[in-house]
Amino acid sequence: MINWALFNTEIYFLITAAGFLVLSLLPKADAHRDYQTALALSAIGVGVALAGITQQGDIFAQAYRIDMFSQVFKVLLSMGLFLIICICSELKSIPERLHPEFYFLLVIATLAMMILVSSVHLLTIYISLELSSYCLYILVYLRTEHKRSLSATIRYFIIGATASAVMLFGLAILYSFVGSAYLIDIVNTLPAIIDRPIVIIGIFFTLAGFFFKLAVFPFHFWVPEAYHGASNQVAAYIATASKVAAIAILIRVIALSGGHSEYLAKVLICLSIISMTVGNLSAIVQKDLKKLLAYSSIAHAGYALIGILSMNHAGYSGAVFYALALLILKFTCFFVVIKAATEGQNPTMAHLAGLHQRSPILALALLVALFGLAGIPPTVGFTGKLLVFSAAIQQGYFFLVLIAMINVVISLYYYILVLKAAYLTEPDRPLSELPTPMSVKILAAAMITAIVAAGFFPVYLIRIAEAATAVFI
Amino acid sequence: MSVNAAVLAAIAPLMAFFVTLILTRKRPWLSAGISVGAVSISTVCAVFLLFRHWEMTEPVLYTSTWMVSGAISIPLGIMLDPLSLLMLVIVGGICLLVQIYSIGYMEGDPGFSRYFTFMSLFAWAMITMTISPTMLQLYVFWELVGLSSYLLIGFWYEKFSAGQAGKKAFVMTRLGDVAFLIGILLVLVHAGNLNIVEINSLGPSETMSPLIITLAVLLIFGGIIGKSAQFPLLTWLPDAMEGPTPVSALLHSATMVAAGVFLFARLFPFFSLTPTAMALCLAIGTVSMLLASTMAMVSRDIKQVWAYSTISQLGYMIMGLAAGGYVAGVFHLTTHAVFKALLFLCSGVFIHALHTNDMFDIAKSSGRRMKIPVICLIIAGAALAGLPPFSGFFSKELILAKLAALDNPIWLIFALAGVFLTAYYTFRLIFIILFPKPGPSDADSTSIAADEAERHDVKPHPIRQTMATPLIILAAITLVLGFFEDPVERFLSATVTESLSASGMHHGWPAFMALGLSVAGVLLALIEFGLPKSRQIGFAERMPFVYNLFSKRWYIDHVYRYFIDYVIDRGVAKICARNDKKVIDKSIDTFCDGIVESSRFLSFLHAGMIQYRLIVVFATLFFLSLYLLLG
Repeated sequence: MINWALFNTEIYFLITAAGFLVLSLLPKADAHRDYQTALALSAIGVGVALAGITQQGDIFAQAYRIDMFSQVFKVLLSMGLFLIICICSELKSIPERLHPEFYFLLVIATLAMMILVSSVHLLTIYISLELSSYCLYILVYLRTEHKRSLSATIRYFIIGATASAVMLFGLAILYSFVGSAYLIDIVNTLPAIIDRPIVIIGIFFTLAGFFFKLAVFPFHFWVPEAYHGASNQVAAYIATASKVAAIAILIRVIALSGGHSEYLAKVLICLSIISMTVGNLSAIVQKDLKKLLAYSSIAHAGYALIGILSMNHAGYSGAVFYALALLILKFTCFFVVIKAATEGQNPTMAHLAGLHQRSPILALALLVALFGLAGIPPTVGFTGKLLVFSAAIQQGYFFLVLIAMINVVISLYYYILVLKAAYLTEPDRPLSELPTPMSVKILAAAMITAIVAAGFFPVYLIRIAEAATAVFI
Repeated sequence: MSVNAAVLAAIAPLMAFFVTLILTRKRPWLSAGISVGAVSISTVCAVFLLFRHWEMTEPVLYTSTWMVSGAISIPLGIMLDPLSLLMLVIVGGICLLVQIYSIGYMEGDPGFSRYFTFMSLFAWAMITMTISPTMLQLYVFWELVGLSSYLLIGFWYEKFSAGQAGKKAFVMTRLGDVAFLIGILLVLVHAGNLNIVEINSLGPSETMSPLIITLAVLLIFGGIIGKSAQFPLLTWLPDAMEGPTPVSALLHSATMVAAGVFLFARLFPFFSLTPTAMALCLAIGTVSMLLASTMAMVSRDIKQVWAYSTISQLGYMIMGLAAGGYVAGVFHLTTHAVFKALLFLCSGVFIHALHTNDMFDIAKSSGRRMKIPVICLIIAGAALAGLPPFSGFFSKELILAKLAALDNPIWLIFALAGVFLTAYYTFRLIFIILFPKPGPSDADSTSIAADEAERHDVKPHPIRQTMATPLIILAAITLVLGFFEDPVERFLSATVTESLSASGMHHGWPAFMALGLSVAGVLLALIEFGLPKSRQIGFAERMPFVYNLFSKRWYIDHVYRYFIDYVIDRGVAKICARNDKKVIDKSIDTFCDGIVESSRFLSFLHAGMIQYRLIVVFATLFFLSLYLLLG
């Protein structure tokens, strides 16, 4: 007997998606109607996810687990969806008749990620991962009139397919040694056979699919082009919600090894270092803000990996906190640059010129968010970095943290370049004030408050992150 | 109750500072009112505390923790003992009177509101410094005093020389403060805490070796040298005349420069532990006293004369303290605060009304017709010269008695010479103003005066009530303060051990000698400047070499200039700049260029064909798998 009540968050989002499917069948396109509907439904979705935060139990033949960990991430994901929909009021880069489909795919992608964070069976994990990926492929392509969107989508798809293939291979290896696809069985069997290299390779290949999602080297090649080719809102969604889900499932899978594999840790350290170095170095010369943020998110994937590869409780909870920080900070950055590029075109440094005069509050939000990404106190980004780095120090990875700190300094350089564009560069010709309706101001003020408040009083969020990851210890 | 009053005294000016800084910048009169009101509260609290604790035998101590870092906790608190109570009253009173006076003096200045903001900051810093229970708190507010005096000296910042003077004052006092800070740290390291009561107990002599104590005392004395403008850091004080005259009055009497002497008195028992350092302090006080007196003999600028005289009187105080005369030094600090403030405020009236700093110009413009300032000037001048029954006589005589008790008579001789010179230059100024002559030309009337004049309307003002009242009050205090010598002495020595406070013999022969020399100085001034036939050229001015030496301030500034130009600018600074450019900047630039280049290369790699990327993916997987298999 399945307890459907445990599945209510997912059911809610499924119904929402169905609603948009119906909307897309209506003959008359109405962007405003779609936007309002999406906003209202996703706001309710946050409420539904919050209401279910304390639920616990297993359903679908133990292949699907509802626990604190999954529920916290469901809240984060629904918040991510809500925030992204908040900035969809001017969705100019996507044809109006496709708007219901856009929302439909967004909701389905979110639903798939929710299923992903609850999955405790290899097949559920694989299927939900693929479901979310396919939604994203189409979402990238939805910007049909942009000349790069098709090529970006195809490259995205090819790399995604490759990662899936590798992952399937890894899953097969894992299954052949454990004889069960349930994570619970794997956790119980794995410590005994973890010394066999082929098992480690199995885990490593399995991780490939999640690395692809999180954009860790070497599966990061799709990121700059996908961000560049996709409409701004979709890029923001990929940078925020999809990363949160990837961090969640990485924690779940890597926790399988129980922290007993030194070799796995070394491989992950290697990937983490390359990711952040490649990301940060490549970001320096970017003029296109979406590309810059794309590379920066590769670097942040590396930082988040530091917490995960520490394989201790502090590391896992640090990574959860980091996921939250990334969600808020990345979203704020995208929010500002999307507002600065008023016509829905790709935002560049030039669009930011004189932003502090055109819209002081947006400029301030950008400043706070970029400082947060760079890890400057008192922002949530600082606390996130502190938590993952100190977890790594606990494990004795001093060298790794040192390299990460050097990377942080490099990243500060290009973040400040962006701020320079926003605060010091004067526009070539006088630009009018940015239209900032009250809703935009409120959202900007709320994000600034959230970033700073979570930096000053991180203790509650840290407790939630610790409670969420307590299941792995 | 006492603690509350002390906190109130300290907090009120701080509140005024913030309110005038943020809220009332556009309303000058409101700012002035708030500022004066706040300092009145402080003064009332101070007087109340003084009367309440008049019979005190034990200091009142109150501390709370400001912050804790590991094993070190930094306290913040209040200490009320006779010295701090007396100083509190002086600071509060003088600040109050000067601020009232400033209402008239600064009227119409565009920075009126800002002026009172800074004044409040100054009052807060000084008041809190006087009641500090620890050296660290004292140091913090000591620096705040330095900051606020920098702001006030450079108050007319659009004038280049004012900015320069502010900078000079700040940098020179900072120079001493560096030594002071090192001294504090030395005490902290060796004695383990910075509590003033404990430093002043005999504790340090047990935990610190005599050499360390001497070193610490000398370093702390470095701070005093800077703050009280003693030799060799004395040249900032005359330049500090660039500020408005009430600021000079405040700086020179009760606050900034007095802070140095206050620190000496504050740590007097600690200083007394080391006779070597005390001897050096005595020498420095003496040198400063004599040098400054000679400089004052030839100056034409009325404010500068008082500036030099401040240095020389501070030298006296330091001599007194260094000779073991705790009460003598502090009492002279008290009387000097009053009559020096009076001298500056009187001069301010002339400057305000006649738009000139030059004493000969003041004389020519019939400055003597201004009855109140002239009478007050004479009273204060007589006090400065050490004539009875004015307050200066009593306090100077205490110091001289202490010096006479020393084994070596040389200090007494120098001090007496100083007494003569002081009387001479004081009455030189007074006689010049009283008896104008068509005499020496006014070729080099100072530019300061002209500038200051431009800021006010051109026609002379009648003296304002707000300006006259403080003068009269201060003059009255000057007249009577000397007769409170015995009560003050009893009050001050209540908490200091007897051996340190015994003030030696009273009214002995040094007093009569000093009196004689003062009168001689006055007479010489009268002959040279006062008599109808005199040419108004002093004996020092007749000798070109001596005149140049005195008026160029013994070439101290030239030596500094030379040192800065040739040793610092062209030597150390040049090497540092070259190192900065060639080594540091270049290596960083090269490094950064390398990073940017690698960035270009990496993003170029990301733009390649999809096949290459897949090759990278599989190659990475292959090599890492290889590592896992073989590892």
